[in-house]
Amino acid sequence: MSIVKKPKAISNWYLPGILSGMGFTFKKLIKNLFNPKGMPTLNYPEEHYQYGPRFKGNHVLTVKKDGSLRCTACMLCATNCPADCIKIVASEHEDPTVEKYPISYEIDMLRCVFCGYCEEACPVDAIRMGPEWQTPALNGGNFTYDIQHLAYRPNLKGGIQSRLDDEERHKAGI
Amino acid sequence: MLKCKINGKEMEVPQGTSIIEAFKLSGQDIAHYCWHPGLSVAGVCRLCMVEIEGQPKLQIACNTMVQDGMVINNNSETVKDVVRWGLDFHLINHPLDCPICDQAGECGLQDQYMQFGKYDPEMAERKVKKRKVVDLGPTVVLDSERCILCSRCVRFTDEVSKTHELGIFNRGDRSEIGTFKDRPLDNKYSLNTVDICPVGALTSKDFRFRQRVWYLKTAESICPGCSTGCNVNVYYNEEGLWRVRPRHNPEVNGHWMCDEGRDTYKYVNRKARLLEAKMGHRDNWTLESPGAAAKAAGQKLREVIEAHGPESVALVLTGQYTTEELETAVQKFKGDLGSSLVYHWVNNPESFEDFDGILLRGDKNPNTKGLLKILEQEGVSLTWKDLESRVQQGQIKTVVVAGPENQSVFPDFVEKVNLLAGVENVVWLTACPHSVLDSREKATWQIPLKTYIEKAGSFINHQGKTQSFEVGTVIVSSALTLAEAATLLVGQELEVSSGDRLAELTRKKNFFTETRGAL
Repeated sequence: MSIVKKPKAISNWYLPGILSGMGFTFKKLIKNLFNPKGMPTLNYPEEHYQYGPRFKGNHVLTVKKDGSLRCTACMLCATNCPADCIKIVASEHEDPTVEKYPISYEIDMLRCVFCGYCEEACPVDAIRMGPEWQTPALNGGNFTYDIQHLAYRPNLKGGIQSRLDDEERHKAGI
Repeated sequence: MLKCKINGKEMEVPQGTSIIEAFKLSGQDIAHYCWHPGLSVAGVCRLCMVEIEGQPKLQIACNTMVQDGMVINNNSETVKDVVRWGLDFHLINHPLDCPICDQAGECGLQDQYMQFGKYDPEMAERKVKKRKVVDLGPTVVLDSERCILCSRCVRFTDEVSKTHELGIFNRGDRSEIGTFKDRPLDNKYSLNTVDICPVGALTSKDFRFRQRVWYLKTAESICPGCSTGCNVNVYYNEEGLWRVRPRHNPEVNGHWMCDEGRDTYKYVNRKARLLEAKMGHRDNWTLESPGAAAKAAGQKLREVIEAHGPESVALVLTGQYTTEELETAVQKFKGDLGSSLVYHWVNNPESFEDFDGILLRGDKNPNTKGLLKILEQEGVSLTWKDLESRVQQGQIKTVVVAGPENQSVFPDFVEKVNLLAGVENVVWLTACPHSVLDSREKATWQIPLKTYIEKAGSFINHQGKTQSFEVGTVIVSSALTLAEAATLLVGQELEVSSGDRLAELTRKKNFFTETRGAL
């Protein structure tokens, strides 16, 4: 149901309406010219809004000290994922203390709803939601991120180290 | 019969029943690791503690027999406290790395920990480190750290497989499972130790890290590996089958199955399957949908019969199909085509009667008894020699072969295909492709059939016991059953089944939502 407003006689005199509208516009223009910091909008490509540290952006797979993946391929993130966008293929690691690791870890970013359940489910701090969110691509761009992108993309500069350290955990007998 | 009261419930149990069995009969939960219904009692895990009225101390349920008038409970605070502490002792050296462990999701210790666990352990000492990823043999991997020394696997090799490979070595907190001088655990039943392991200490090389168990659904089926007809649970997801495990049936297989039978999931998956029908001959194959190819082959069959009479067409059957399918095939062939040339392909006659004393039989077909019954019922008593002589004389122009779905147990496969090399037309019904068929010089139709997990029916095992099974899952949906293929071959149309049955199948209950983690 829509409300139909019948035009009143005064609206046929359109000039007063235009002038009051333009007056408002110019008032704001002059205000912003003399006080640009009061503007609520950002000059987007040049300026960026800084989100809080808890912002859930694109995923990052953390790495160990030696640069290998922290992930143990337990698949709790994939199990918890409500969008069903994480695909992991596990395999046997040569090192018996590591035992299991992912040979393929893919996140379909177009299906991801950025809920952060994967981060919460991870028992070893292997997946985090980073601050990055502006990741457009042209037609045909790849939005299924693999290990190479999730853990070692250039702006991570060799990977983000996990807080947990395997050797320390081992010494502590966990 | 003895009267007893379990958690307030009046029961009658037969003489010689242990308390834990009485608990199982009454359908109530009781924690236990070392006790297994198929093995002797060890009484080492001390978790099945129960309180018996009139006895000052708690008793273990697995090694205490029910006596007349016993009043037993395991839900008092005393019992719960003892179980909690018993669990804490088990977890002194057991790593809590369930996310990596392959048993997670079907682990009794994990469930118990979630239910009773003291989440803050009271041990100040560090966990003892032991050997990890020990290669025990061709099928099993051991992780000593996770072992809780329940000795189920040791008792299995002592009592069931009688191969005595496994033992517990060293003492105190250094004790661990192993094989003497690291000899391999290599017997035909070794993977049963993986099934009965209540934790993730023994894992199967074949299944390890392939899937998390909570992603898999399960279907009940019958193992097609040999004529024993073990009852099995098949674990599958949308990609196909992942593993086969035994299902308890005291009359057939007890709690066990052989390692060979566990491989029967491999030829079922899409990678190993014939997905589309192939028509033509060597280097000149055209792909066709199975139904259309069967119709085309049927057209050819009728042309041959018109030209040379019904005795120019022969049917070869193997014991790898359900009784119902075989019956339909023979009836259609005899009744509608009018040929009485039906032959039984015996794959390995010299080892046909072999039996290893436990489960494995030399007859590698699940339904030889069923096939013989159908042949007798239809009055067919032709020998293989008869087919050979007819082929050599050139009387037979067309052979329809219901080939084996499990080709690896047919050592004479190539030989039999070569025997039919001179026959003008061969209609080969099979679930899996074979290179020998692809190199046939004369006209051939290879028509994909369904495997045992994709159809309903019954097998008659070596004892003469009829075991029926339902459709578990569908891997190649366009493939035909033998009965459907036979119907199309004789020129009839298939009946379209109603949607109700499909709905019923899709509403199958999920094992993991009901008895997940049961030991």
